[in-house]
Amino acid sequence: MYLVVRLRYSQPMRIDWNQYDAGGFYDEMISSPGQPRAAARVLANYLKSLSDQKLARRQRAAELAIEEMGITFTVYSEGENIDRAWPFDIIPRVVALREWRQIEAGLKQRMQALNLFIDDVYNKQRIIRDKVFPKDMLTSSKDYLPQCAGVSPRFGVWAHICGSDLVRDGDGTVYVLEDNLRVPSGVSYMIQNRSVAKRVFPELFRRQAILPVDDYPAALFDMLAALSPRPLDYPEIVVLTPGIYNSAYFEHAYLAQQMGAELVEGGDLVVGSDDCVYMRTIDGLQRVDVIYRRVNDDFIDPEAFREDSALGCPGLLRAWRAGNVALANAPGCGVADDKVVYTYVPDFIRYYLDEEPILPNVPSYRCEDEKQRGHVLANLKDLVVKPANESGGYGMLVGPQSTLKEREKFATLIQRRPRNYIAQPALALSTAPTVVGRHLEARHLDLRPFILSAKDTYVTAGGLTRVALRKGSLVVNSSQGGGSKDTWVVDSGGRS
Amino acid sequence: MLSRVAERLYWTGRYIERTENTARLLNAFKTLMLDLPKGVGLSWAQLIDISGGHDDFKARYRSANERNTLAFMLSDRDNPGAIITCLGLARENLRTTRDIAPSEGFESVNELLMFVRRRLASKRPGNHNYEFLSQIVQRCQGITGLLAGTMSQDAAYQFVRVGRNLERADMTTRILDVGSATLIAPDAELERLEHRLWTWLLSALSAHQAYRQSVRRQVSAPVAAGYLLHDTLFPRAVLHTLCEIRACLKQLPRSTSAVRAVGRVERLVRDSDVHEIFPQTFHTFIDDLQVALGDIHASIQRTWFEPAARSD
Repeated sequence: MYLVVRLRYSQPMRIDWNQYDAGGFYDEMISSPGQPRAAARVLANYLKSLSDQKLARRQRAAELAIEEMGITFTVYSEGENIDRAWPFDIIPRVVALREWRQIEAGLKQRMQALNLFIDDVYNKQRIIRDKVFPKDMLTSSKDYLPQCAGVSPRFGVWAHICGSDLVRDGDGTVYVLEDNLRVPSGVSYMIQNRSVAKRVFPELFRRQAILPVDDYPAALFDMLAALSPRPLDYPEIVVLTPGIYNSAYFEHAYLAQQMGAELVEGGDLVVGSDDCVYMRTIDGLQRVDVIYRRVNDDFIDPEAFREDSALGCPGLLRAWRAGNVALANAPGCGVADDKVVYTYVPDFIRYYLDEEPILPNVPSYRCEDEKQRGHVLANLKDLVVKPANESGGYGMLVGPQSTLKEREKFATLIQRRPRNYIAQPALALSTAPTVVGRHLEARHLDLRPFILSAKDTYVTAGGLTRVALRKGSLVVNSSQGGGSKDTWVVDSGGRS
Repeated sequence: MLSRVAERLYWTGRYIERTENTARLLNAFKTLMLDLPKGVGLSWAQLIDISGGHDDFKARYRSANERNTLAFMLSDRDNPGAIITCLGLARENLRTTRDIAPSEGFESVNELLMFVRRRLASKRPGNHNYEFLSQIVQRCQGITGLLAGTMSQDAAYQFVRVGRNLERADMTTRILDVGSATLIAPDAELERLEHRLWTWLLSALSAHQAYRQSVRRQVSAPVAAGYLLHDTLFPRAVLHTLCEIRACLKQLPRSTSAVRAVGRVERLVRDSDVHEIFPQTFHTFIDDLQVALGDIHASIQRTWFEPAARSD
């Protein structure tokens, strides 16, 4: 069983916030030794009242609940048992409502601009004509799909579901680290984390106003239903999964079940000569209106993209272009999920909305620019270098933790393909108390809220907090030893 | 319900039943071999013929002795009919339909597969005894009972049930064919042992006790064959399985052509007079029956697993 280390000791001790050391980082719970932040005060005081034995019991109760509820994620392996229990830390991460409203507004603004950008590059390309965004940036992007040009999805929205990663730096500033516009995952864990937290700390939910998160499946359903090309009371909505071996299969099944949608694989779908999509059921072929697809662009339609894909359905793009089926997210929207394009998002906000960005980008260097590249190469030790098109924390260089050899390797890579890399200063990610052995220790974390866009924009209350369980580590991905916490947006009335 | 899900549930029903039938068959055969005098013309090779794995076996093994036969039918992963293969496939089907089939179903099949693997790894194949095979039979029955007792009796469950009953019909005809094979090529010894052989055939289908109770006559070839074909009450008699299949299919949408295919087989069975076809044309009759059962499968596949026509 892979979970947070079990607590095992006999002498009852209590948590002393004066002993808790965030190591000089911004801590989400404690503002200075012994002093909880206003929104976290109820939680901090409550934890103080628990003996470490009681805390251990709660952690065990959470582990059991996770096992019983069958919350798993899948690790790519050749072994027999590929499902792992979801690693969960019982201490929630608290965000003050007042701060959250600001973040929420920033995310909505950002999504609006991103969708306007995507719609623009596939249609009129005003932003290129106006020289705000360079044309070769687009043509060199492997996520720009010419097959999608000229399509205008409903409401002009391409990225219907987005999971943006937010981080907080040492001075307390919240930055957008990246926008996941392709097939972002994790939202089911956000919901499950909440139901586990309610079992573990029921009294805390009674004592304060914590914003609920479980309305997400309903909001997702409404958003998808709004995309239906046929005006029906009950549009046929399906979730398209790559199948049981995908690391997020649990989530695909969970969301389908929560929405009452059919969970389909590529082989279940067929595109007719009328360019409509049907699914094979025991009642015969049934028309599909909306596909929430969790299969990447490359694999979605062997007729249009990768011929060898067995995960998609031939003709899907054709049906989508003809307007007979809605795809969420729309194919080709990954063009705005490129890390180099990311560096332009503040410009998009100014250009399309004529507003100043509410949420800042992490300051970034484009390696393609000669001057910026020179700076990057001279300062590799202090920077984080990221490839333009990877997700899951793969293929990056974390300067401060790198060896000389790794830095030399990346210097060569950057010089060979500068368009492929950006660099950012290594941020001092904020921390929060996490159960480790017999103590609470500070661990680094980030936050992934989920944004739904169709006619309106919806943002989850909080999101999925991911925590790096290894001491000092900045890598929060669950595939690489990360865990998660419940996220509480708390209305404490006062200021954070 | 998605066609893919229906197909996986159907095969789950078949594979669990096949596992049970194979284990029971091996057990019965071992007992029979102990009972028969030496030099009698019944061999392990016949067991392989029953399972339909003749060519497969010949390609990989030299002699059809007890040890090789058991290895082939229990632990040979390249044999599509081996217990280990069937259980693996049943597990895969249940794993991928976990949102429809009860999760305990997956867990039980998984546990059974682990149990079989552990046992097979621990002993030589020839040592697999009565107790081991009986446990497989019992645990399969447990899984069948679990599905029957926990699944809503909707379309999903009907597909499991159809699979189970078609597999039963298939096994019964295979076992009847053993009786016919020994009849066509009469071995002086074997003919004298007819009674013992048919008693064995009945017990290979757990039918001996039921036969005694409902037929109340000494076991003889035509009467026993007639019972295994025509009885409508014994769960493994061909006619009974056909009635079950028909009842299941009728609860599914667009079932006309599949139900018709079942009707054709039912007529074939009902119209047969065992005393008339015994022994000369019995084997041909069983052949026809197996082809007709194959037609039912094909019809099910066409109707529900590969829908082509539009109907909305």
